[in-house]
Amino acid sequence: MLKVKELKRKCSAQIEGEMTIYNAAVLKEKLMPVLEDSRDLEINLAEVTEIDSAGVQLLMLAKKERAARSYVLNLTDHSSAVVDVFELMDLVSYFNDPIVLSGKKGEQRGS
Amino acid sequence: MAKTILIVDDSSSLRQVVSMALKGAGYDTIEACDGQDALNKLTGGKVHLIISDVNMPNMDGITFVKEVKKNPSYKFTPVIMLTTESQEGKKSEGQAAGAKAWVVKPFQPQQMLAAVAKLIMP
Amino acid sequence: MDLDSALLTYIAEGRELLEEMEDILLRLEHEEDKQESLNAIFRAAHTIKGSAGLFGLDDIVAFTHGVESLLDQMREGTMVLKPTITTLLLSSRDHISDLIDYVEAGGNKITDTLREKGDELTQQLNDLGVGVNQTAPETGVQKGLAPAPTETVSRVSGSHAESDNWHISLRFGPSSLCDGMDPLSFLRYLGTLGEIVNIKTLDDGIPPAEDMDSEACYLGFEVNFKSNADKQTIENVFDFIREESLVRILPPRSELADYIAHIHELPEEDMRLGEILVRSGSLTQLELDEALRQQSALQAQETSLPLGNIVVESGMTTQTVLDAAVAKQSQVREGKSKEAQSVRVDAEKLDELINLVGELVIAGAGSALNAMTTGNNVLIESVSILNGLVEEVRDSALRLRMVQIGATFNRFQRVVRDVSQELGKEIDLIITGAETELDKTVIEKIGDPLMHLVRNSIDHGIESPDLRQAQGKTSSGTLRLNAYHDSGSIVIEVSDDGAGLNRDRIQQKAIEKELITAEQQLEDQEIYNLIFEPGFSTADAVTNLSGRGVGMDVVKRNIEALRGSVELTSVPGKGTTFRVRMPLTLAIIDGFLVGVDKSSFVVPLDMVLECVELNQTNREDSVDRNYINLRGEVLPFIRLRELYMAGGVAPRRENVVVVQYGGNKAGLVVDHLLGEFQTVIKPLGNIFRHVKGVSGSTILGNGAVALILDVPGLVQEVASMEMRAMNSAA
Repeated sequence: MLKVKELKRKCSAQIEGEMTIYNAAVLKEKLMPVLEDSRDLEINLAEVTEIDSAGVQLLMLAKKERAARSYVLNLTDHSSAVVDVFELMDLVSYFNDPIVLSGKKGEQRGS
Repeated sequence: MAKTILIVDDSSSLRQVVSMALKGAGYDTIEACDGQDALNKLTGGKVHLIISDVNMPNMDGITFVKEVKKNPSYKFTPVIMLTTESQEGKKSEGQAAGAKAWVVKPFQPQQMLAAVAKLIMP
Repeated sequence: MDLDSALLTYIAEGRELLEEMEDILLRLEHEEDKQESLNAIFRAAHTIKGSAGLFGLDDIVAFTHGVESLLDQMREGTMVLKPTITTLLLSSRDHISDLIDYVEAGGNKITDTLREKGDELTQQLNDLGVGVNQTAPETGVQKGLAPAPTETVSRVSGSHAESDNWHISLRFGPSSLCDGMDPLSFLRYLGTLGEIVNIKTLDDGIPPAEDMDSEACYLGFEVNFKSNADKQTIENVFDFIREESLVRILPPRSELADYIAHIHELPEEDMRLGEILVRSGSLTQLELDEALRQQSALQAQETSLPLGNIVVESGMTTQTVLDAAVAKQSQVREGKSKEAQSVRVDAEKLDELINLVGELVIAGAGSALNAMTTGNNVLIESVSILNGLVEEVRDSALRLRMVQIGATFNRFQRVVRDVSQELGKEIDLIITGAETELDKTVIEKIGDPLMHLVRNSIDHGIESPDLRQAQGKTSSGTLRLNAYHDSGSIVIEVSDDGAGLNRDRIQQKAIEKELITAEQQLEDQEIYNLIFEPGFSTADAVTNLSGRGVGMDVVKRNIEALRGSVELTSVPGKGTTFRVRMPLTLAIIDGFLVGVDKSSFVVPLDMVLECVELNQTNREDSVDRNYINLRGEVLPFIRLRELYMAGGVAPRRENVVVVQYGGNKAGLVVDHLLGEFQTVIKPLGNIFRHVKGVSGSTILGNGAVALILDVPGLVQEVASMEMRAMNSAA
């Protein structure tokens, strides 16, 4: 679900599987220590299969927490499930990470 | 992968038509004839939405929703209650139990599809 | 699966619900606790109406709506059950049934007669004070949206925003995610109604990590939305979250004052929101400045509406009350959880199964015989075990067709009610033994004769209330239907506590009809039995009730054709009881096996009176005539050898099986008596359908076919032969 790799200068984490209301509580528990870490944080989202508002909210929480401590949060390798939702909620600029756009933005929104 | 919808109503013709409409829109469906039957069918498999009547023999819709909300695997599943105009009380009872969405009987298949689409996409 | 097949399901389901409705309505008046029954009828009406809507059967929806409303009021206790209401509900039920019949017949536009009938009943429902709309309820359109508070805010100026787009502000309630109301889904759905030009997802609501509940929803959205949909449609998108969330919708080119009110209603700071609106393109900077300038003017009137809070709070207060109500309801329901534990099977499939099982029995008997001839003991043993199982399968297959007689009895509730009202009599129907089981085919065929007996009792048996009181009886009469099993038969009793049969009148009538002579001395019972004689009818005036010109003789004949019998007992002033005895099943017969040369025949055992030897004297006497002297009585007979051209030569000692049907006796002359024999009846193939004197066939253990004799037919045949012989002799 959440794997953490501690590097010298930054903390690197990877979230796998779903990020939904059904596992949000567990995910938050695991995320808490990482959010308090005093290094920059990078979360890899390549293996996120499904994300709903509860999952998005956790990522927003992470962003807020990091900003409050003046550390950086970088989201990387967004899976297509994450990209879809970020586009729908227009969160790309909110997180301000380089993102590989799905190239079918209009279609995603319309359907 | 198509999302799965559980239809709970004691009228088999209603289930048949609703199921037909939903399948046409790209959902998978499971049918149950009352609350007890529905609980028996909520074992394991993922269910993305539940459509349940209020007035049913054996176990009514309200009791059923309360049971669903106790089940860790399904407690966050959206529930559409089938209500009647004459039963505003039942609607709020259902909402208190956790069924926040509703469709008023009698309804057209299109109205059901619209209500479902608000909650989940196929 | 298509809509047509679903419609057929609807029709079948509707019929079943209507039947249930009728049953309950008829017993409702006598029930102590009516709540559960009222719930059940309400549910029936509710289902009929609800499903009708799906098929666009608006006439059924419109009419049933009124009935449902009445039932709801009764359920809530605001309407009390009265006989007039029961009658109205029964008539309404009948009308719904007519409407469903009409649908089944493929009718599109409802006929004027049906419409008038419906209007008349709806009028009656209205007269009761049921809140029924004359028009059909709006099918499914969500009504009763709370008017947006913006409309109540006074308009300050006429200046409008220039935007062509809608502006939608959403603050999802904390429980949204737990309730399955994911904001993402609503946004996706909104996207199907137009274009989300700009969306801003707000994180303002998210508290610090340690206070944040990961299952609560803190999200808010400001959406600039381009769509041609009307306001109602857009508002409907958020129906499900309206109560717990904050939803504000500003149409294109709203007044600036509305934007101000809009901004004020949102939890975030005004400046921040103003900027968001500008950035999203809903307002220009100029418009925002103008709006903020007007803000102070509005402050006096402003009512900060923590709408969400109010709703949540009111939701909380009712929660405990609701819980208690629901708990009570579930207690009541537990008692009923045993119903509907059955599977519905097409009767034809069942018949097919039973037919196949019959074949299996026969094939098994053949195998047993073949096994015997091999002399292989292991084989004989295993075939015998197999056949034992096959017979068990046959018995349980036959039991599948056994149904309780209760449903048939219940149908008479309505008859008793309607007929007694028509005649101005007061009659209670008491049903006992409703759980007694018998074969479905017997049940189907017993309905008509029973109906006749019931009507006869209401019509002739039970007296008018005045007469009853004059005789010191209760003014309301009692009709009893009872059923029980008795040595392989089912006995159904129809009894009344009426006047009993009038011995003198029957006797007089019988003399008039020349059924008896005035000199004949008859026992009471013998006189009572005369009412079963053809052409006898005691009714002084022919009412339209006691059957369409059908006498008791027909009832008796119909029952006997089913291998049953009917008898009566009557006590003057106390009442009459008819006792119908039927075989439990028509598929199995207790037969008496007889042989002629190499052929075998089965005579239904219950019609066999006795067997006598055709002795030498009788034989010689009867060479040229077809009757013998049976203890001084004339017994016409028929030789099966001649009738069926069985061939062979009659043995020295022949036997006569004396059978009786409908009061007539006849003898069947056969070679051998082979004894009692229980067997499965196989219907005759089409070729043999018209063969006289044969009602079916069965296959014997040795694989040979035995014909089952149609005794009623044979007796008639013998009687007519006798007639011809007498005529030609004369």
